[in-house]
Amino acid sequence: MQPIAITGIGIVSPSGIDKRQFWSNVVHGRSAIETITRFDAFKYQSHIAGHVHELDAYSNVSSRLLKKIDLFSHMALVASELALQDAQINLADENLNRAGIFMGNALGGWLYAETELRDLYLEGREGVSPFMASAWFPAAPQGQVSIHYGIKGYSKTIVADRASSLMAIAYAAKNLIREKNDFILAGGMEAPVTPYALLCCNTSGMLTKRNDIPDKAYRPFDKNRDGFAIAEGAGIVILEGYERVNKRKPYVYANIIGFGTTTDAVDRINPAADGVQLAKAIRMALDDAQLEPSQIDYICADGAATKLGDISETKAIKQIFNGYANKIPVSAPKSIFGNMLGACGALDVIIMVLAMEHHVVPPTINLTTPDPECDLDYCPNKAQEKTIKNALVINRGRGGINAVLVLQKS
Amino acid sequence: MSTDQKTFTLEQKVKGIFNKVLDITPDEIKPDAKLDESLGMDSTELVEISVAIKKELGVPLADNEIKKTQTFNEIIGILKAKGAN
Repeated sequence: MQPIAITGIGIVSPSGIDKRQFWSNVVHGRSAIETITRFDAFKYQSHIAGHVHELDAYSNVSSRLLKKIDLFSHMALVASELALQDAQINLADENLNRAGIFMGNALGGWLYAETELRDLYLEGREGVSPFMASAWFPAAPQGQVSIHYGIKGYSKTIVADRASSLMAIAYAAKNLIREKNDFILAGGMEAPVTPYALLCCNTSGMLTKRNDIPDKAYRPFDKNRDGFAIAEGAGIVILEGYERVNKRKPYVYANIIGFGTTTDAVDRINPAADGVQLAKAIRMALDDAQLEPSQIDYICADGAATKLGDISETKAIKQIFNGYANKIPVSAPKSIFGNMLGACGALDVIIMVLAMEHHVVPPTINLTTPDPECDLDYCPNKAQEKTIKNALVINRGRGGINAVLVLQKS
Repeated sequence: MSTDQKTFTLEQKVKGIFNKVLDITPDEIKPDAKLDESLGMDSTELVEISVAIKKELGVPLADNEIKKTQTFNEIIGILKAKGAN
């Protein structure tokens, strides 16, 4: 795969919105997961989450627009602005017919939707906001970012559960290679901390029930793991091809150099236990990047912290990396701020970029009792210094979706 | 007249609705200016206003009635014709 440059990043997360604050919290493993108090979630089996704080301090979205959009669109707008500023792109100088937006999310705008559904049953048809139809649907953030900036080029929204934004970033890169766009805002957003969205996540059986210890509950690869904690947030990266990079000469954080995807075809929620199809996706991504397994310096794991998910992910890594698997750090920094569902991939890519910048592998936190069946180096609890040239990001989704991206430091 | 006894005109009530529903301040509303040009309002926002008017003033406005209006004063005109005050 032709390399595609990452030239800007924008983060809205429970670990912070400013990239310096975000990285500091991540590298120090400071858990951002808290009890949900935004609504009465006490009776839910899992009622902890990573919450975004101080969004308004970074937002220039008008209060008039805020009445018409869901939180996930709001976060997408803030993250997009941060990413464009970081890339030092002045849209006034750009051909906006050649700019694109590739977003991923799993659930859509449920806070807006739930509120209006409630009003439908309480007040009838007239109780429903006329903005409901444009606020809820999964492509709403793509639309709002497009309207806000006047971006009119080839754009797309991907819905692939927890692999949504990783796939959005990958397809954005492929689109740039085909020269369908000059540059793309790519990433994801998710706002699942709402009564109905939390209920849906709970019924998947994948959420941790350790509500008594929110900051220690999400523990990928630990023997006592029982699932993940959800989180809200958004991550956007700016992607550009090298013909443009060579003219514009922006700072290039890293390059996307490979992508692979497969499907398990086994179960509607759980991944395949043998990890075979995920291994194939890893192989596909490495072949696309023209790299051997021994050239990978770090793997950012899916890290769902389910019994089956972590074991099958470990098996898949071993199938491809064999003996070398024990020499690569494999961490799940999402254990720090929560699993952002469809926005996971975007945050994982941003973390990877920052890890490469700072020569540090961020930790998997709360890994205190190793599971004998998960025996790789998961960088437990403390960051490791390491020069990272080539790295993998693994994301998986319900329905057996596997997605793997390869990044290379520029 | 004390604040407790103050009655609002229909225009003030409807401006209050614009403010509550769309965050448009009373000063921004130019009574004879086109709503789409002066305030950037679209048809969906007009429907939102008509729903709020029905809720707060008890005067129903059909979608086709509100969508025909182009200015704030036209909205007031229709409401007065329906007996609102």
